[in-house]
Amino acid sequence: MSAPQEIKTASARAMLLGPALVFMAMVFFLPIWTVLVQSVSDPAISNALPATVAAVAEWDPHTAPTIAMQEALAEDLRAIDDPQILGDVVRRLNSQQAGFRTLISRTSGALNRLADDASIDLVAIDPRWDDPIYSQAIAATMSPTTDRFLLAAVDMARDAAGNIGTVGPDVSANRDTFLRTFAIAATVSLVCLLIGYPYAMLMASSRGWVRGVLIASVLLPLWTSLLVRTAAWYVLLQDKGLINSALQWVGLIDEPLGLLFSRTGVVIAMSHVLLPFMVLPIYSVLLTIPPNLGPAAASLGANPIRSFLHVQLPLSSLGIASGSLLVFMSAIGYYITPALIGGPTDQMISSLIAFFAMGSANWGMAAAFGVLLLIPTLLLYVAYDRVTSRTNGRST
Amino acid sequence: MTASMATSRASGRGSTTGRDGSMAASSARVAAMNGASAPFIALEQVEMMFGTHRVVDQLDLTITRGEFVSLLGPSGSGKTTILMLLAGFLQPTAGSICLGGKRIDHLPPHRRDMGVVFQNYALFPHMSVADNVAFPLRMRRVGREEIEQRVTRALDMVQLQHLRDRRPAMLSGGQQQRIALARALVFEPSVVLMDEPLGALDKQLREQMQLDIRDLHRRLGLTIVFVTHDQGEALTMSDRIAVFNRGRIEQIGSPTEIYDRPASRFVAEFIGETNLMAGKVTTTGPDGSLIRLDSGEDMAASAADWPAAGNEALLSVRPENVTVQPVGTARRTERVNIMQAKVADSVYQGDHLRLHLDCGQRRMIARLDRQVADYAVGTQVDVVFQADNCRVIPT
Amino acid sequence: MKAAKIVFGLLAVTFLMAPLVTILPLAFTSSDLLSYPIRSFSLRWFEELMISDAWRMSIVNSLVIGAGATLLATVLGTLVSLGLRRSFAFSGILKSALLLPMVVPAVILGVGMQITFIQLGLVNTHVGVIIAHTVVALPFVIVSVSGSLAGIDMRVERAAMSLGANPLRVFGHVTLPLMLPGVLSGAVLAFATSLDEVVLTLFVAGPNQRTLARQMFSSIRENISPAIAAAAFVIIVGTVVVAGLVLLFRAAAQRQKPSTVTV
Repeated sequence: MSAPQEIKTASARAMLLGPALVFMAMVFFLPIWTVLVQSVSDPAISNALPATVAAVAEWDPHTAPTIAMQEALAEDLRAIDDPQILGDVVRRLNSQQAGFRTLISRTSGALNRLADDASIDLVAIDPRWDDPIYSQAIAATMSPTTDRFLLAAVDMARDAAGNIGTVGPDVSANRDTFLRTFAIAATVSLVCLLIGYPYAMLMASSRGWVRGVLIASVLLPLWTSLLVRTAAWYVLLQDKGLINSALQWVGLIDEPLGLLFSRTGVVIAMSHVLLPFMVLPIYSVLLTIPPNLGPAAASLGANPIRSFLHVQLPLSSLGIASGSLLVFMSAIGYYITPALIGGPTDQMISSLIAFFAMGSANWGMAAAFGVLLLIPTLLLYVAYDRVTSRTNGRST
Repeated sequence: MTASMATSRASGRGSTTGRDGSMAASSARVAAMNGASAPFIALEQVEMMFGTHRVVDQLDLTITRGEFVSLLGPSGSGKTTILMLLAGFLQPTAGSICLGGKRIDHLPPHRRDMGVVFQNYALFPHMSVADNVAFPLRMRRVGREEIEQRVTRALDMVQLQHLRDRRPAMLSGGQQQRIALARALVFEPSVVLMDEPLGALDKQLREQMQLDIRDLHRRLGLTIVFVTHDQGEALTMSDRIAVFNRGRIEQIGSPTEIYDRPASRFVAEFIGETNLMAGKVTTTGPDGSLIRLDSGEDMAASAADWPAAGNEALLSVRPENVTVQPVGTARRTERVNIMQAKVADSVYQGDHLRLHLDCGQRRMIARLDRQVADYAVGTQVDVVFQADNCRVIPT
Repeated sequence: MKAAKIVFGLLAVTFLMAPLVTILPLAFTSSDLLSYPIRSFSLRWFEELMISDAWRMSIVNSLVIGAGATLLATVLGTLVSLGLRRSFAFSGILKSALLLPMVVPAVILGVGMQITFIQLGLVNTHVGVIIAHTVVALPFVIVSVSGSLAGIDMRVERAAMSLGANPLRVFGHVTLPLMLPGVLSGAVLAFATSLDEVVLTLFVAGPNQRTLARQMFSSIRENISPAIAAAAFVIIVGTVVVAGLVLLFRAAAQRQKPSTVTV
């Protein structure tokens, strides 16, 4: 290809790809980047108290607070005219060291009453300013970046000396939520595999209208709104729902099972929603296995079970891998189904993220959980990408 | 450097044998040989690189107006690349391509005026047969009535008038092939390029289409460049065949030249089947050459001016030119070679008999008329072949 | 063995289809409870969808936002698919990156979008919700259109070129008609995605941008009633129509594939 032609194709390509890339950069990659930044950023103090931060940087934390620091703090507090910013400062400092709430409000109130050119003595306003512990708290919070959200997300924190330690289960139980998320996702994947593999086999081995019905039964739920399916499971699982009524009518149980708002209910509903993602990859791999391999193995002396274990299962392993990865990857990020079908003890990481973001506007914590959920998701996606490209490579 | 030697050698051989083989040659080829008209298509020193891979290597090729030239070779030999270069889907990395004396290698495909017939026909699946055939005329903004007339004529030519409103997917392979042909011819292009157009058809249909295309070529005086890997097809249809190997033309000439006088081991082995014996040339001359085989025997061969005496060479003889006689009955003369052999295997093939012969270290294959005789495995025989049927080939 | 297969097949089909089958009749109950048995039938809950401001507004919002997101995603996704048609350096990575919205958990994207959209002034606007839905609908369009482009035999386009069509006319007369089924089914999938989107809507939409899915989500949570079943009925009927259209487009695309049958 000649050089001018290459330039021509390159500019045509840029025109085709440009709009979507700009769009995705602005409203997909920028938001994801924002989450990453948010999970490690802690700008309240460094933004609001710039002079103090500069003065504290030169201070030896083992000595008493210096006059320069006090003057800088007074200057910064006077410069804040937005009560919301002051509130952020108070919240951040108070979370580091109790007592800041009264200390700051008393100090800024006194400062506002002072004349602009009056000399400043913070210790006179509140003797606590003489205690280095408050200045140390400012020093600890002044960095614009922090690892405290990420640490808190896995039940850890730094003590006053900066050492990382684990927080007791009575304070925080985020690790349980992580474990629960992975446990639910693994259970759902297993259920999907146990139903999905034989189902895919049945699809691949059937013909005519039977195959049509089997395929339609996978595709119709897949195309049906997630909300509709979740609502339907809500109807089915409730105490007066069809499942409990049927079981009681048969006489298997006397009391309703309490499926709604339970772990079992969540697993059933999620397995239903994700089953097509297990069936379809396995089915497409099974279709590529020559149908005469089974008889061939039998003619060589393998009984049906051995023929399945040694011939069909290894040949369909890539389908199993891509189906399981897809289901697990989707399951760990689920929000809607556990939120509607699960009880308080069945909530997954996504629920925590939604809680921190929408319930308490704690972006740092929401973002930290987001990062910790994003990492395994992306790793699984890379693995899935590898597996499917191998499947495609083999079938062509 | 070596490439241009190879082509000049090939065309040199083409012209020497062209004189005695002119009986079979078409008038177009005679015109080409006599230089009566300027070349219509001329590729000069064309080179094509894909990355660091050289697919076409300093290639020269000229084609006369009205000629049917086949590009024959194994896959990856560069023949399809030449076609894509002619059609304009690729630009050569070096060299020039001229059509009617004008350079065209910088022109995009739609301004080259070449009709291309693709391997899988490449019919437009969303258009009817008639719309497919009308497409090149619409692109040239031909008037509606004229389009109608020319489409009708083109469909009559391929005898598919009754299918004009069908979609291509509803047609058989042979019918699709004819439509593709009609579409490539309807705008009367100056050159028709065909890329293995018959590859997907079954044997019977393929042979019918070979004759049909050859007939169209004669009737319409078309210039056709035809890519194929099927030697039988090339031998059947072409005025000239260019045998490709590794991006170069190994030999170019009429079908009889290519088959009877292969210029290289590659050509001898690629076209038909041959017995090759290694040796050294002892004498060469206008009356014939002598070659001493590595096993010590002297064999007479037809005249050759190359390789010169003293060079390593191969003796090539086709299986159908090898006969077998009961042991001791054959007599060596100046123009007849004989060899002792034992029948290793005898394979009945319906219309002929294939004998596998052990001649000391060497294996030979003889293709016999099945009425001649039956030779049991293990029989000692005399192998006989005429010097005129033996060809000296450089190693 | 055969009996076991039949039993398993029936059970599995029941598991897959039961939710869809059971929720539909409840749309016609006259009771206030979203549960069986149905004592008498009525259309009151469909009336509720039409009359109640919350439901009616959510349906209108879903249609408006769905239309906007479908248009935007289809245009962007079609352009991208054309740009990615021939592979080039990093084109594989680029495509994987553009498909990421399918993979990234919606809640994470929701948090990021909320923060970003506040800065961009898009939060609590229809445009913001359309943009959010477009992001998650785009991968479906790309997959669908890329698939139909991959199905076009490049020789067909080369044939058009050799027959005298310049690049623009090759696109207009050959490429575009052949990729159209993929574009249309991509658009249908985009609309379905938008219709079903809840999580991003929770994060970026205000009360005026409440969509049908969002409305269903909060009524399941807060005041569950057969209106949900009626809404589900509307969506399922829509889905069946949509699925029919997709199958129709697929069949059309299939028909257009050149047959390689010999004789």
